[in-house]
Amino acid sequence: MTASLAPCSRCACPIEAGDLRCAICSLPTPFDASVALQASAVIMRCRGCGAAIEYDVRVQAPRCAFCGSVVALEQSLDPIEQAESFVPFRVDPATAQGALRAWLGTRGFFRPSDLVSHSTVQSLVPTWWVAWMIDAEALVSWAADSNAGSHRSAWAPHSGQAPLSLRSLVVSASRGLTFAETSALTPGYASGDLLAAPHAMPGAVIERFDVQRSAARQIVARAVEAQSAADAVAWIPGSRYRKLEVAVLLRQLSTRRLAFPSYVLAYRYRDRLHRVVVHGQDPSIILGSSPKSALKIALFVAGLVALLAVLALVAALFARAG
Amino acid sequence: MSGLSLECRNCGAALVAGAGQRSARCPYCASPSVIERPPSADRPPPAFVVGYVVTPERALELARAWLERPLFAPGAFRRAAPHEITGLYAPVYLYSAATSTSYSASIGEDYTVTETYTTTDSQGRTVTRTRSRVETEWRELRGELALYVNDRVVTASRGIPNHELEGIEPYDLRALRRYRADVVSGWAAEEPSLTIEECVGLARREAEAAVGVRLAQFLPGDRHGEVTWRTGMAHEDLALTLLPIWVLPVRYAPDQPVVRLLVNGQTGRIYGKAPVSVLRVIVAVLLVLGVLAGAAAAIWLLGEYS
Repeated sequence: MTASLAPCSRCACPIEAGDLRCAICSLPTPFDASVALQASAVIMRCRGCGAAIEYDVRVQAPRCAFCGSVVALEQSLDPIEQAESFVPFRVDPATAQGALRAWLGTRGFFRPSDLVSHSTVQSLVPTWWVAWMIDAEALVSWAADSNAGSHRSAWAPHSGQAPLSLRSLVVSASRGLTFAETSALTPGYASGDLLAAPHAMPGAVIERFDVQRSAARQIVARAVEAQSAADAVAWIPGSRYRKLEVAVLLRQLSTRRLAFPSYVLAYRYRDRLHRVVVHGQDPSIILGSSPKSALKIALFVAGLVALLAVLALVAALFARAG
Repeated sequence: MSGLSLECRNCGAALVAGAGQRSARCPYCASPSVIERPPSADRPPPAFVVGYVVTPERALELARAWLERPLFAPGAFRRAAPHEITGLYAPVYLYSAATSTSYSASIGEDYTVTETYTTTDSQGRTVTRTRSRVETEWRELRGELALYVNDRVVTASRGIPNHELEGIEPYDLRALRRYRADVVSGWAAEEPSLTIEECVGLARREAEAAVGVRLAQFLPGDRHGEVTWRTGMAHEDLALTLLPIWVLPVRYAPDQPVVRLLVNGQTGRIYGKAPVSVLRVIVAVLLVLGVLAGAAAAIWLLGEYS
């Protein structure tokens, strides 16, 4: 949602080309209405043949009954969104593979002993996953029950209102990465160096937003409300709360469509494939699945059972002796 | 408000347009004209229009089905066929504002009380038992609620009262189009006939009601009561919009007034006030009484024989 026109005069949120109304507060966007200086009867004529045109319910547009040409009406544009800025890769594919190897070696006691040596990387795809980055000012009204000031009931009602500045709130639009994965990857990106176009990266995949502008705005509004509710928790007095409700009056909402770099790797251990995501700028951030050794788990359980049995035997002997 | 004498731009014949008309058709050459007037405070230029989606054939079909529905309407009404259908672009205002509400309410917080009591068990012994019951502690809550209220649709026409417009709402406002004169070309279109003050009053009442609905969802506690609120509106905007309505007058008896049906030209939703047949109501009441009397008689007879 790039600012390309003068912002909304009510909420100062950006207006994009093709908007008939502000997406946040519904204020109509300015338009040049032709103003008649005196009363007159005007016949709307077809630009093709000059005949009078009338609105035709069957084509839902003004249509010339003689030549059949249809007049296009201006409506809110609802295009599929595309990334407008790219965060560059700072990790090359070889480093990502090395990071995977190192990560496999740190998978804990239950990892198979030969996990590092017997794992083979099957695929490595540099992927720019997409997200909206939001900045906004909000006036948040909240109400909730909490244990502060409670008397006979465990709960007492509280309410409040506070301004909230949201800065660089990232809302994932990725279809390929899960919410947990994008949440873990996000803090590692340096947002300073943005590119207007993707740099050369062989085999790179650039995700699409896959939602229209109107749906994107709903997702963004829900994310802002969820973040406001999360921040409002700190304003509730007491140590426990319930039934938190927030109402958000947004101002100056600006949204950038960004593409973040990552590597999506698949590695094979024995006959199973596992998926791992390596951060595109910080190779120490790796998320994914790894196998567990069934033998180690069985030995651990057996050892635990044996230990419990010994403890029970000792306890029984002490009981008999006593 | 008097009519306008204009000239048909096609054949030059005199064209008389009513003061509230935004469109006209020449009686000599049938050319459709759109009347353009200098805007005024009560008649701003239209900002948006919603085009017709429902065809006249479909509107008639829906109206016929609707007429058969009211059980207590006279038989003539249920058999009546609308003899005329008119497409009308009705003027409404789309209202939006930033609202700031100060509220106070009694919030009920439930808690459970356990009490002991004595009673007699099945063998006649006095026993002590415990039971729990839910009680409510009421606390006063005051607060502020700020939100945008938008898409409140209020009539700007004296011919279509607000409650009748609400009867055919909602309109899908995603289908709003920027107003162009050629959208109303060939169709009856009306200018606002209510003053802007009247419309603002209607819109503010709707906005306050919308705030009340949101407030009821917003309040915490297990229950609430004595909710009072005062809402201030800022940055108000009214956008004149033309909405498509099919109007169908239904005359079902020569001595009865015409019943007007309104059909939403976008969704097909219908508003109308069906007349009530006193005879049908009496017959229905008698039938219910007859059934009740029959049932009572049957119970009495069963009691007698058993």
